Order: sequence, then C-alpha cells, then structure tokens
Amino acid sequence: MNRKKKRSFAGSRTEALVYGILSLVILLAVWHLVSLGGRIGKFFPSPFLVIRDFANAFVHAIGRNTMLEHIFFSLRRVLVGFGLGVVVGIPLGLVMACSKAGRAFFMPLFSIVRPIPGLAWIPLAILWFGLGEQSKYFLICMTALVGITMQTFFGALYADPVLIGAARMLGAGKFQLFVHIILPSAIPNIFAGLQGSFAGAWCAVIAAEMIRSDEGTGWIIFNGMNYANTAQVIVGMVAIGLVGLIASTLLKALERRLCAWNIQGK
Amino acid sequence: MKKRAKYLLLSLFSLGLFIFAWYLVTDILHTFPAQALPSPTKVVLTLVKKFTKKAPDGGTLFQHIWASLKLALYGFSLGAVIGIPVGILMAWYRKADLLVTPIFHFLRPIPPIAWIPLMLVFFGIGQTAKAAVIFVSTVTNCILNSYIGIKQTKDVHVWVARTFGASNGRILFKVAIPSALPMVFAGLSLSMNLAWMSLVAAEMLAADKGLGYMIQYARMMARVDLVIAGMVMITIIGAILNRILSAVEHAVVKGRHMQ
Repeated sequence: MNRKKKRSFAGSRTEALVYGILSLVILLAVWHLVSLGGRIGKFFPSPFLVIRDFANAFVHAIGRNTMLEHIFFSLRRVLVGFGLGVVVGIPLGLVMACSKAGRAFFMPLFSIVRPIPGLAWIPLAILWFGLGEQSKYFLICMTALVGITMQTFFGALYADPVLIGAARMLGAGKFQLFVHIILPSAIPNIFAGLQGSFAGAWCAVIAAEMIRSDEGTGWIIFNGMNYANTAQVIVGMVAIGLVGLIASTLLKALERRLCAWNIQGK
Repeated sequence: MKKRAKYLLLSLFSLGLFIFAWYLVTDILHTFPAQALPSPTKVVLTLVKKFTKKAPDGGTLFQHIWASLKLALYGFSLGAVIGIPVGILMAWYRKADLLVTPIFHFLRPIPPIAWIPLMLVFFGIGQTAKAAVIFVSTVTNCILNSYIGIKQTKDVHVWVARTFGASNGRILFKVAIPSALPMVFAGLSLSMNLAWMSLVAAEMLAADKGLGYMIQYARMMARVDLVIAGMVMITIIGAILNRILSAVEHAVVKGRHMQ
C-alpha cells in the first residue's frame, strides 16, 4: 500500500473531523426525514428509534436472548467452522505447494470445490447434516476453506527462489527449507487468507442463521423481517457490521504483531 | 517432459479415483442411501433432463438460469456504473472524500447477505429486492477498489503530468484512472463473485424462480441429485462470468504485463 499520498495540509485533522461530523449529521437528518414520510415511514424507523432499540437489545431480550448472547451464538458457530477450515486448509495449501505429487493429486479435487460459491452449499449441508449446528459448521468451513487454502498455497509456492537457492547452497535439508524459508514466506499470505475468509465465514453464518435457527445475529434480522419489524432488522445489521468490523480490526492487529517484518517492508 | 506426463497422470488418477469412489459407494455398494448421495451418473442424467423438464419446481434449467442471470447482471451493472465514478470522485476530490467516507465506513462492513431482509421488507418478494441486494454489494466493493486504485497513483506520475502543464481533469483521466484500472477490475471481479453468491442466497430465501430457488426447492423435495446438478450449474455460470470479466480486463487494461 502506498501511504505516501500527501494531499493534506496543516489542520487537516480538524477539517476531517468537521466533515466527518457533518456527513453523519446529514445522514441522520435525511434518514430521520425519510422515516417521517407517510408510506415509507411505516416500514422505515427513524435512526433514533434504531439507536434506542440497539441499546435496549443489550438489556432486554430479542426473542429468547439478549444481543450479547446472540452475538456469542453466531461467533461460536463461526469459530468452530472457521477453525475447521484453518485446520484443513493450511496443511492442504502447504502440501500442494511443497510436493509435486501432492499438487498433482489434490489440485484437481480442490479445483472442483474452489469455484463453488460458499452459500450454494446450503441445501446440500442441510440434506447431509440436518438443520442443526453441524450443517452450519459444514457451510462455514466450506466457505472459509477455499480462501485459506488458496492463499497458503500461493504464499508457499512463491517463496523467494533466491532465498531457497541460498539455503540449499548452505546445505539446508528439505525440512529446514520448509521451516525456515517456505513457512515464514507463506505467513503474510496466510494472514491475508484468514482475514478474507473470516469475512466470508461471517457472511456464511448469517446466511445459515437466516435459513434455519433460533438464535444468532442472522436470526435477529430474519425474525425482524418476518414480523415486518424494520427496526429490529436494522439493529441486527448494525450488530453484524460492528462485529465484522471488530473482528477484522483484531485480525489486522494480530498480523501487525506477528508479521512485523512484512508490514515494515511495505 | 516425463515429469509433466507423470503430473498429468497423477491428476487424472486423482479425478478418476474421486469419481470411481463416488460411483462405488452409491451405485455398487449402496453405502449411502440415494436420498443422501445420488450416483454421479444420476446427477449427470438429472442435469441433462432438467434442460427440458419443468418438474418439480415449474421451470426448465434455462428459465432458472435466465432469471438468475438477468437479476445478477442488472444489479451488478447498476452497482458498477454508480460505484466506480463515486469511488474515483471520493479519491480525487478531498471534500467528497471527507464527506462520503465516514458514511461509507458505516455501510462497508455489513455483508451483502445481511441486506436481504431489509430489501425484502422494502421491496417485497419481487425481483427488485434481489437486484437491490446485488446493487448494494457491488457498489460498496466498486467504491472501495476504485478509491484505493486512485489513491495508489504514483506521485511521480502526477508530478510529471503537472510539470508538463496538464490540468487537474486531464491528470485524472490520463494518469490516475488508467493506473487505477487494475484495482478497479479486481473490485469488479470480487463484486461479481459476491453478487452471484448473494443472489443464490437471496433466491433461497424468497423467490419463485432462479437457480437458488431451484436448489432450495429440490432440497425440500429431498432431491439431492437436483441439488448437486444445480450447484454444478451455479458453479459453471459463475466461472463463465469470471472468464468474460477477465477477457474484458485484458482488452481494457493497458500495460498490465509490464508490471
């Protein structure tokens, strides 16, 4: 990323703040005005109502659970499915990158799975694993798996040939080569894969919860839709957006901590 | 050459093994009941038959494909036509950047799937709601990528253009936009995949035609063969859309091979 763009001048921070506040005020004002209007207003709650409902959701339950419990249910599903994807995807990517035979064997199979859009697995997941938690884990795992495997594969495959040559010349064995050269050079890509796949997995859990579930953030918006409670739908969307944002920020912070050398090089 | 042949052989072996194992556990050993996993031959037959047969969901495969494709392209092109210019303006004009970016940061982390219920409440179960979901998902990605693309314009290039007396607009069109194009196309291809996937999800939730509806209906009828056939079709069309997009990219983006 090129961070050298300097179209700024002194006092640009306050200017940014002023414009930022201005844009939010305009957004809220327009939103509020639209919600006052007759026919649309019926389906479209004012932003203040949404904010109030959102705050309320942490104390009073929506359905059977409060907001934090809903978020917890969704996160637990994501973590199990995503964890499965990581456990399968990273070794699979490494095997395909490091061993010719491994690539020849697994690549055709993986190429069948790779282009299938994650959410297209939903009906099959339900038929195979029923409507319970297992089908959700399966769906999330399939969604996360592809990105993680691809990124790991490319990261390990495109390890710097100069470094590999140098290590080999200095007498590194295959195992040493793997641990000291290939794995470290794959880690930035693996992190990119984890970030992208987490977004996908978060998307998948919401879809899964909309299809069939009794709790979770996806359930909130789907339930809101069924009762034409737009405020609840938007409250759920806000929660989904916030959790996604927090998760991606945390992953980025983790990357900065673990792959400091790569960030500095950019 | 010998290595290549060996690689190819192993690849073919793996594919063959996969299909044979599938065939073995279904048609020969009947390890899985046909309702759980139909044999590969059954899936292929179902797929071929579905081109002309309307049962069980009331549409031939072409009708479903056409319904999905129309919606996807409609929402996608609208999103691209609006999103790309907005992203470019946001990146180029400081005031637009400061004004729009905060709102944009609010909307961006919401996955397209999460828009489905809101759009269904607004627009009903019709086609508009689904087109709107795709529009939202495309527009956010297009804005983001064209924004980043423009911001990544090399300062040196801008300086050179300015030294030679190019106006601001000329720099935008002759320097910034061409150098942003690869990024813009990356955004388009990401949006295309997301659009296709969100559409399938939206059709599963509320639709009376389309590929997503077809596999959801097949699921309720416990027709796994049709589910898998539908997945195959969804995958193939997604891949074709990707190919078309990258062909357009090759034609439009200059100098990408020099990098």
